[in-house]
Amino acid sequence: MALLIVLLGLLVLFAVLLGVSRDLLYAAAALAAASVILSIVLFSFGANVAAAFELSVCAGLITVLFVSTVSLTKDSDQKTEARLPALFLLPMLVLFAGISGFFVRWLAGVLPAAGQARAVTFQEVFWGQRMTDVLGQISLVLVGVFGLLAILRAKSAGRHHD
Amino acid sequence: MTEPVAALFFTGMLLFMTGVYLLLGVRNLLRIVLAVEVLAKGITLMLLAAGFHRGAMGLTQSLIVTFIIVETILAAVMLALVVICQRTNSSLDIRLLSRLKG
Repeated sequence: MALLIVLLGLLVLFAVLLGVSRDLLYAAAALAAASVILSIVLFSFGANVAAAFELSVCAGLITVLFVSTVSLTKDSDQKTEARLPALFLLPMLVLFAGISGFFVRWLAGVLPAAGQARAVTFQEVFWGQRMTDVLGQISLVLVGVFGLLAILRAKSAGRHHD
Repeated sequence: MTEPVAALFFTGMLLFMTGVYLLLGVRNLLRIVLAVEVLAKGITLMLLAAGFHRGAMGLTQSLIVTFIIVETILAAVMLALVVICQRTNSSLDIRLLSRLKG
């Protein structure tokens, strides 16, 4: 339990660092660190496949995409970024912690008792019971790829037209 | 509700609200993408808490994997739009998006 609290505390810390850091590359590093911490939490709860996905996709792919975008856009708008949200983040975090405490207390009253569902492996659920999700995921990946192609092609066509 | 589940729900809700706050407060388009990612971390934690509470980790992992894929596609498309917006407006300020033309 102590380790879990330390990990969750680090997760919140990296989220706060992400919010207050002026440099977007530091923010991207904080996001990657938060993903690594989250994957450790997932591992510790026995969600190994989800942890591997979180580590490889969120900590890896999204960070690479983000850093590439930062370098492409040259981060030209740091001066226009309002500092007020970052300054008020810590006081707001205390408020959010209070609200979360009330939420957890309310949830403890309405949640059904802890169940012991039949031990089903991830593979059985993913490839058996949730096959529709797999089809949805394939569709999503295709939507993402075609969406990116459409966005980039529209831009290059616009440039050609100019 | 056991202590680990309560801790997961608490942190998940905290991250979710932090993400919403950042989403509403920032002007830089790249920071908006980051805020969505923070929000997504909170949702992942709450999914994990619910699955651990019910003892259905197989189903939970399946839902988390689906959510991660959705999150990744969303981030990729959002980042592509950010690049296009920067090239169009020479700026990442979200307030300039009100000058978009059809």
